[in-house]
Amino acid sequence: MLGTFLVLLYAGASLAQNMCEMGDGYKVRLSIKTALGDQAYAWNENEMFLFRATLAFAMRKHFNDSQYNILVCNETQRVSFHFVVADPRNPHALMEKVQVEKAVRASRHRINSAFLLSDSTLEFLGIPPTLATPFRPATPPWLIAFGVVIGAVCAGIIVMLTSSLVQRRR
Amino acid sequence: MDKDARPNWGSPMQFVLACVSYAVGLGNVWRFPYLCQMHGGGGFLIPYVIMLVLEGLPLFYMELAIGQKMRLGSIRAWSAISPYLGGVGLASVLTSLYLCLYYNIINAWSFWYLFNSFQPVLPWAECPLNANRTGPEEECARTTPTQYFFYRQTLNISTSIDETGGLHVGQVLCLLLAWILTYLFILRGVKSAGKVVYFTATFPYLVLFIYLIRGLTLHGAVNGIKYMFMPKMEHLADPKTWVNAATQIFFSLGLGFGSLIAFASYNDYNNNFERQAVVVAFINSGTSIFASIVTFAIYGFKATVNFESCLERTRLLLLNTFEMAEELISLDNISDWIEKLSAKYPEQFDSLAGVWENCSLEDELKTAVEGAGLAFIVYSEAIQNMPLPQLWSVLYFFMLLMLGLGSMLGNVTAIITPLRDFEVVARHISIEALSGLVCLFCLLVGLSFTTASGNYWFTMFNDYAASFSLLFVVLVEVIIVSYVYGIRRFEKDVEDMLGRRPSWFWKILLVAVSPLVLASLFIFYIVSYIQGGTPTYQAWDKHLGASVVTEYPIYGQVVIGLLLASTVSCVPLSALYTYCKTKRRPGTRELSVSQEWTLLGWRCEAELRE
Repeated sequence: MLGTFLVLLYAGASLAQNMCEMGDGYKVRLSIKTALGDQAYAWNENEMFLFRATLAFAMRKHFNDSQYNILVCNETQRVSFHFVVADPRNPHALMEKVQVEKAVRASRHRINSAFLLSDSTLEFLGIPPTLATPFRPATPPWLIAFGVVIGAVCAGIIVMLTSSLVQRRR
Repeated sequence: MDKDARPNWGSPMQFVLACVSYAVGLGNVWRFPYLCQMHGGGGFLIPYVIMLVLEGLPLFYMELAIGQKMRLGSIRAWSAISPYLGGVGLASVLTSLYLCLYYNIINAWSFWYLFNSFQPVLPWAECPLNANRTGPEEECARTTPTQYFFYRQTLNISTSIDETGGLHVGQVLCLLLAWILTYLFILRGVKSAGKVVYFTATFPYLVLFIYLIRGLTLHGAVNGIKYMFMPKMEHLADPKTWVNAATQIFFSLGLGFGSLIAFASYNDYNNNFERQAVVVAFINSGTSIFASIVTFAIYGFKATVNFESCLERTRLLLLNTFEMAEELISLDNISDWIEKLSAKYPEQFDSLAGVWENCSLEDELKTAVEGAGLAFIVYSEAIQNMPLPQLWSVLYFFMLLMLGLGSMLGNVTAIITPLRDFEVVARHISIEALSGLVCLFCLLVGLSFTTASGNYWFTMFNDYAASFSLLFVVLVEVIIVSYVYGIRRFEKDVEDMLGRRPSWFWKILLVAVSPLVLASLFIFYIVSYIQGGTPTYQAWDKHLGASVVTEYPIYGQVVIGLLLASTVSCVPLSALYTYCKTKRRPGTRELSVSQEWTLLGWRCEAELRE
């Protein structure tokens, strides 16, 4: 009984590994030491669990439905790995790459924050970041400074011209 | 008599500060450090100081003497000294006019950068985003954000001088402000200018000092200073070094524009201009050296920052390609790792050939830039990396403004003073109205430099309008004073003003050395013009994100020719005019008056004319 269970477990794990390696997924690369320096955390199984949970959250949030299984493989020392998302309705098929991309882009900021990283240090190779629009004030700031200075200078000219006119009349 | 009396400087100090403010300009900050770097660092100081003594001092002395003696602007002063060669004064005024037209554009740029410094993030620190917000704008991604800000957002430059494009509203407004401010400073002549120069002459030194402290404490500044002061004596054998030293002294002191004559004409008759000439000339050169120490500290910082980011990019490239843990490669051991990896995995290294950058601190330090590129691009790049960049940016661009406006004071005075010497002008137009008219005229013509191709016209004027013509003017001036008018009469005039004759030092320099140096420079310029082929300019290619050397079109070359010919031809044309006038009417006032001058002496004549 136990033996059958273990064999099934082993088969399931290798099947998952196979699906990940064969499947068309995204490569993720993390640069934790570069981003955090002394405050960097070590990458271990717990962090990987968080990654899979965060990505499952992103998929669930975007598609508004049930649980997603994230399969990870090809981990390296660099801290980079491949992942694919299993389709919850059909456990032997994978979600399409385009769908995964949409979900990741929608929740990119949340995913980054979970790891205290940014778009450049938590890279999804092939998914371009959506950068925040910079704040544009209603009046360009240079115009305000310009207005102040030109007002002061014109006032100075008027003062000097009137004073010399007055002097000449006297 | 009192109403028509010539206005005077409030004190001799105002005169000295006005000369300092005029001579110490943008060239001290953006041309001298470049020349130092190009011609062997500390070694360049040797030809520089030698040329200062041989050429700068005597010519400066001569112009101040003439202005103070004649108490007239350049046109009537030179007509009085030598009636046939009086056109040299007219040539000075015309050159000053060309200078005024384009010089205030630099002040407009300084204003633009100054106003844009009042933002939480400096606009030249980051690229703006592209349309779908996935990355930086394409043109900006190909070049650096600072270059993009200068070429695209400040100038909105077109790809060649042929495409005129429209006016840049920001530039127009800033140019308007620059001219209004210039008008405010000169509207009452020396009465108002004399007060302004207290500030425009001294404030830049304060900022340079602050920047010196800040610059020397920056990371990597020492690299720049070491690079500059390491003298590379082999450059002294290159004749170009000596030519550039002579040219730099010449233009830096502002000789030949008529501004010095105009300033000196408002002096007291017995003012000790000899000492003042030496003081101002040495202050000017000292400021150049001081500014280049600051510039090289900043260069060193910028080069080090760029070098370290290059190393960082290389490190990431290695980590990503070879999937190694981050802590294995640091900036210290990166060169060892490069060797190890290239030996162990040569094919993978070759595949990196497209993106591999060779990082070198030497190369970063060697990239020498001059002119607007140094002042606006290199400095703003260095400033954005400093902590609290807005403060440094405001200080720096305000200093550039003071330097530029101080020089503008001299430039505009060189036009207004000679015009006011003509009674028909002085009686009917007040000084405020005349200054206003000159400023308005220069503003309207200067608007053409704010178009999309305006920077190319600016470069043309900058390179040709005031370089060759000035050499010609000053050469003619020194020949007139030494030979036509005679060094003996000049000696007597100086004795009259100062109470003692000029020493043999000044006499030898004026009669023999300076004319020789100027004549050699003149010949050198002609030869290099002829050998240089078609004149070219740097056009900004927005697809490449870099400048491309392009030839001037035919009409551009015609304009260059006109610029040179119009000023140089003033001298022979005016000589011809005087000759025809005296031929027709031998008993004219001019001739008889000049004979009177020779007989009675200058002082009496000056009093009679007043």
